[in-house]
Amino acid sequence: MKKTRWMHGLVCGLLALAAVGCGRKEKAVLHVYTWADYVKPELVQRFEQENNCQVVIDTFDSNEAMYAKIKAGATGYDLLFPSSYMVKLMNDQGMLQPLDHAQLPNLSHLDPDYLKVALDPKMEHSVPYMLTYTGIAYLESRVPNPEASWAMFDREDLKGRVTMLDDMRETIGAALKFLGYSLNTSDDKQLEEAKEVVLRWRKNLAKFENEQYKSGIASSEFLLVHGYSGDILQVQEENEDIVFVLPKEGFSISCDDMVIPKEAKQAALAHAFINFLHDPAVAAENSEFIYYLCPNKDCYELLPEEMREDPAVFPPAEIRAKGEVIADLGEVQAKYVKIWDQIKGGE
Amino acid sequence: MSASRRSLFPVAMTALVLLFLYIPILVLILYSFNDGRFSVRWDHASLKWYRRLLHERAIWHALRNSLLIAVTATLTSTVLGTTAALALHRYRSRLQKVHYGLVYAPLVVPDILAGMSLLLLFVACGVQLGMSTIYLAHVSFCVSYVTMVVLARLQDFDVSVIEAANDLGANTWQATRYVLLPLLLPGIVAGGLLAFTLSLDDFVITFFVSGPGSTTLPLYIYSMIRHGNPPLINALSTLLIAVTFLAVWGSQRLLAKQRKDG
Repeated sequence: MKKTRWMHGLVCGLLALAAVGCGRKEKAVLHVYTWADYVKPELVQRFEQENNCQVVIDTFDSNEAMYAKIKAGATGYDLLFPSSYMVKLMNDQGMLQPLDHAQLPNLSHLDPDYLKVALDPKMEHSVPYMLTYTGIAYLESRVPNPEASWAMFDREDLKGRVTMLDDMRETIGAALKFLGYSLNTSDDKQLEEAKEVVLRWRKNLAKFENEQYKSGIASSEFLLVHGYSGDILQVQEENEDIVFVLPKEGFSISCDDMVIPKEAKQAALAHAFINFLHDPAVAAENSEFIYYLCPNKDCYELLPEEMREDPAVFPPAEIRAKGEVIADLGEVQAKYVKIWDQIKGGE
Repeated sequence: MSASRRSLFPVAMTALVLLFLYIPILVLILYSFNDGRFSVRWDHASLKWYRRLLHERAIWHALRNSLLIAVTATLTSTVLGTTAALALHRYRSRLQKVHYGLVYAPLVVPDILAGMSLLLLFVACGVQLGMSTIYLAHVSFCVSYVTMVVLARLQDFDVSVIEAANDLGANTWQATRYVLLPLLLPGIVAGGLLAFTLSLDDFVITFFVSGPGSTTLPLYIYSMIRHGNPPLINALSTLLIAVTFLAVWGSQRLLAKQRKDG
C-alpha cells in the first residue's frame, strides 16, 4: 500500500510542476536579457500594468558570454542590452531585427550630441540605453596637485596605490588618447608608442583591476584609479573625498544599447518597452536609480540638481567633444591583443 | 622535544584550518549588517540590506528556481546514481566497463565543454531552453557524483549479509528494503547532499542551458557584479546559513529524542 501512495505523490508532484510550467498563458510575456539591477523594478511593474503583460528578466555577466549563448542558438529572448561594440558585431552577423521607428515615438527625445558619436547613429537596429565615461578618480585629501590628465598615471609619488582597468581597449585607449591619437586606431606606429606608455605606467600600478577598484578607493587602499563614471558616482555616495575627472586629452564613452534579436516572438512588446524606457520622466527616474546617464535630452532637466551639476555626468561641451566610442575593430583587434599580451606578460 | 610539545601541533593545525575555512563566512555575516555599499569599510550596523532584500523580487525568484532545480535534480540523480552503483558493483561484464566510463566522464570533462555541448544538443533537438533543460543538465552531472559515493560505500559492503537474509527467508525485495538500503543509506545521503550542493552552486553549465525565465541564484549573483548591490547577497547568504544551521540542529534534536524514546 505504501508503494501506491508513493506513486500517487509522485504523479501529483509532476502534475503540479507541469501546471506551474504551463499556467499564466493568458498574458503576453516579454523576455528581457540584461545585466542585473539595470532597470528600476518599480518601472518594470508600471510597464506591466500599462501593457497588461508580464516582464521576465534574465541576466548575464558579460557581453561575450551572452553572445556565445545567442550565437549557439539559444532563443526565447525578446530584448537584449549589449554594449555598443557587441551590438555592431551581432548586427554584422545578422542576429538583430531592424527597428520600426513608427512604434518608437520617444526616439525624438534622444540626445543628438551622443548620436553623433554613436556606432549606430540612425538607430536602425539599436537604441542607446545608458552611457558612461571612462576617466580617473582620486582621493582629494591624499593626492596633491591633481590635474585632469592621463599624465597622472606617470606620478611616481602615488606608486603602488594606483589601478588601471584590466581591459585591453580601455587601457591601451587611454594611452592612445594621452598621445593625441584615436582610441580606435589601427596604425602600428601609434600602437607601439601607446604600448611604451602603458609599460611606463605599469611600473606605478598596484594592478590592473575591473571590480575591486571601487571598494579599493572607497577604503583609501588606492589613491588613483581608472574607472567608469557610473561606478565612481556610486562609490562617491560612501566616500565624499573621491573626485572624478575626465582627462583633457580625451576619454572613452561606453554605451549599452537595446536591441531585438531576430528570433524574438514579442517584437511589438519589445518595441513598447524601448519606447517606455525613453519616456523622459521614466528615463530620469531610471538614471537616478542606476547612476548611469540615459542619453535622452529631455530627461536631463528632470534629474536631481546634484547629478545635473556634476561635471562627471555632464562634462562641458569642449571636454565632451573629446569623447570617443570604442568600436569593434574586426581583424585589427588582433594587434591590440598582441600588445596587451606583451604589456601583461612582459617585465 | 617533549610529548606535550608534539601534541600541540595537531591542535594548532586544526585551529588554523578551521579559521581558514570559517573566517570568510564570519566576515560575510558581519558585513551583511554593514550599512556601506562597498562593504570594505565599516560604516555602522544596520538592517538596511535585509529590508532591501524583502523587496527584491528578482533575487527571490532566482532562489526559488535554484531550490526547485536542486531538489528535483537531487532526487532524480540519487535514485539513478544508486541503481547505477548497484549495477556497477554487481556485474563485471565488458558492457559495465563502458558504463563505468560513461559515469566517470562527467567528473573529468571541463564544465564549459559540458555546458556548450549540452546547449548545442538542446538547440539541435529543438528543445526550448528553460528550467527543464537546467534540470536535465544538472541530473547528468549529479548522477556521476552520487554513483561514485555510493560505489565507494559498496566497496566495503559484505555481500554475505544479503545472502544471510535470503537464507532466513527474505525475498529479493525484502532483502533490498530491510538490509541493503539501510546499510547503504549513509552513502546515499552523502551522495544526495553532494548533488544538492553541486546543483545549487553550478554556474558554468547552468549559464549555457538556462533559458528565458530560468535565471538561477548563481547566474544572478555573477550578473550583479556590474550594477548590483553585493551586500544583498551577504544578507541572503546569512539567512541561508541560519536556515541550514537550524535544520541541522532541529534534525539532531529529533534524532536524539527518537533514540531516547526508542
